[in-house]
Amino acid sequence: MRHLTQLVALAALVAAGPALAADMPTPEKVTVCAACHGADGKATQPIYPHLAGQYANYIEQALKEYRSGKRKNPIMGAQAAGLTDADIRALAAHYAAQSSLLHTPSIHGAAPK
Amino acid sequence: MMKTVRCAAAVLALLSAPGVLAAGDGDAGKLKANTCMGCHGIPGYTNAYPTYRVPKIGGQSADYLAAALKAYKSGERPHKTMQAQAASLSDQDIADIAVFLASAPGVH
Repeated sequence: MRHLTQLVALAALVAAGPALAADMPTPEKVTVCAACHGADGKATQPIYPHLAGQYANYIEQALKEYRSGKRKNPIMGAQAAGLTDADIRALAAHYAAQSSLLHTPSIHGAAPK
Repeated sequence: MMKTVRCAAAVLALLSAPGVLAAGDGDAGKLKANTCMGCHGIPGYTNAYPTYRVPKIGGQSADYLAAALKAYKSGERPHKTMQAQAASLSDQDIADIAVFLASAPGVH
């Protein structure tokens, strides 16, 4: 019986996973990123990267490199300077969860429409 | 009037000068992008030390991709493997690869 209870709890957790992602609150600091990267991760200018659907831990790595100064960019260095680790995790999760504009490329097959 | 014409001609010459803004050729880029696929062509492939996923670059903006490759080439952007890869690329190679990746087919 105890196993059954555990199983039910596990099943509930698994089922709640995607719902939790969908209900994730939009981080407050997204408004700053949105000026260039869009709130939904679709860049507002061709020179800025799309972030929609990018891997979360890649975005985290990029923000931490900007914050430490390892990766140099006048705009991003200034923006990342004020971010905490928690901010970075939340922003990366937000953009990774957006409907993706990005994909793993292939040199085979026809270009997608 | 003549001055205006000369100005316009100068602007046109600048815009069409090769190398100033290399126009990318996606077909050429497809051949040149072969090496990229070793890491970027594998879904979820992981960079080691530190550990994070190699970014998805299919569908990314061509202008951004070209700027990124140029920053690796100049050493301004850190990443040993990417710096080594970009070192041998000409501006034309970079433009071609960027245009290809921006509209590349997906792995799936």
